[in-house]
Amino acid sequence: MKKNIFYLLVGCIAFALLLIFWYSVELHVSLFIELAFIVGVVLIILARNKVTDKVDDERDIKITEQATIRTMQIFWIIFCLFSIGAVMELLHIPEFPRLSPSIHTPVILPPRLMGYIQLGLLCLMIFLHVGFRIYYAKKYGEFDTDEE
Amino acid sequence: MHNLTQEHLADAIGVNRQTILAIEKEKYVPSLDLAFKISRYFGVNVEEVFIFNEKTPTIMET
Repeated sequence: MKKNIFYLLVGCIAFALLLIFWYSVELHVSLFIELAFIVGVVLIILARNKVTDKVDDERDIKITEQATIRTMQIFWIIFCLFSIGAVMELLHIPEFPRLSPSIHTPVILPPRLMGYIQLGLLCLMIFLHVGFRIYYAKKYGEFDTDEE
Repeated sequence: MHNLTQEHLADAIGVNRQTILAIEKEKYVPSLDLAFKISRYFGVNVEEVFIFNEKTPTIMET
């Protein structure tokens, strides 16, 4: 398979996923898009292995590796900030000594807000990865030109 | 000297042309494996193509 056909296929899969996502939202059933996402990723991986004119050399691998490591380092810290706040809320107990016996009910974020937070984290991860990829690609001479 | 383009060299050793350019411009330090492939392509020893520098190994002008 040629590289351009692979990119075309990825575009088609992305478009199909978008349609399935919309359908899932309409029906309010998340299982469709979740299953479709897994199938889509598997299809892309299988198709990627069939590409014949793709050369991922050691420099490309290093750029991807460095960008992924840096993304994970920063994302891990930000994700922990949210998680620590949530865990603290779960473990909260009334002050000692208990003057008034009251049952503390943890504040649970509404599902819509949780969705927004997850969407924000996902977008952050994508932006971080793209940013670091551009940075390391530039560092390792991806955008350099010569007289040849 | 060898009347060779970056494209030809890249194809011969299985990397992208941009990688050859990055090595020439000292933006990327090749692995030992790639350094040997380049030197073997020219039929010379690795030390004749690359200079070991404590900070950044550099490629010799041919």
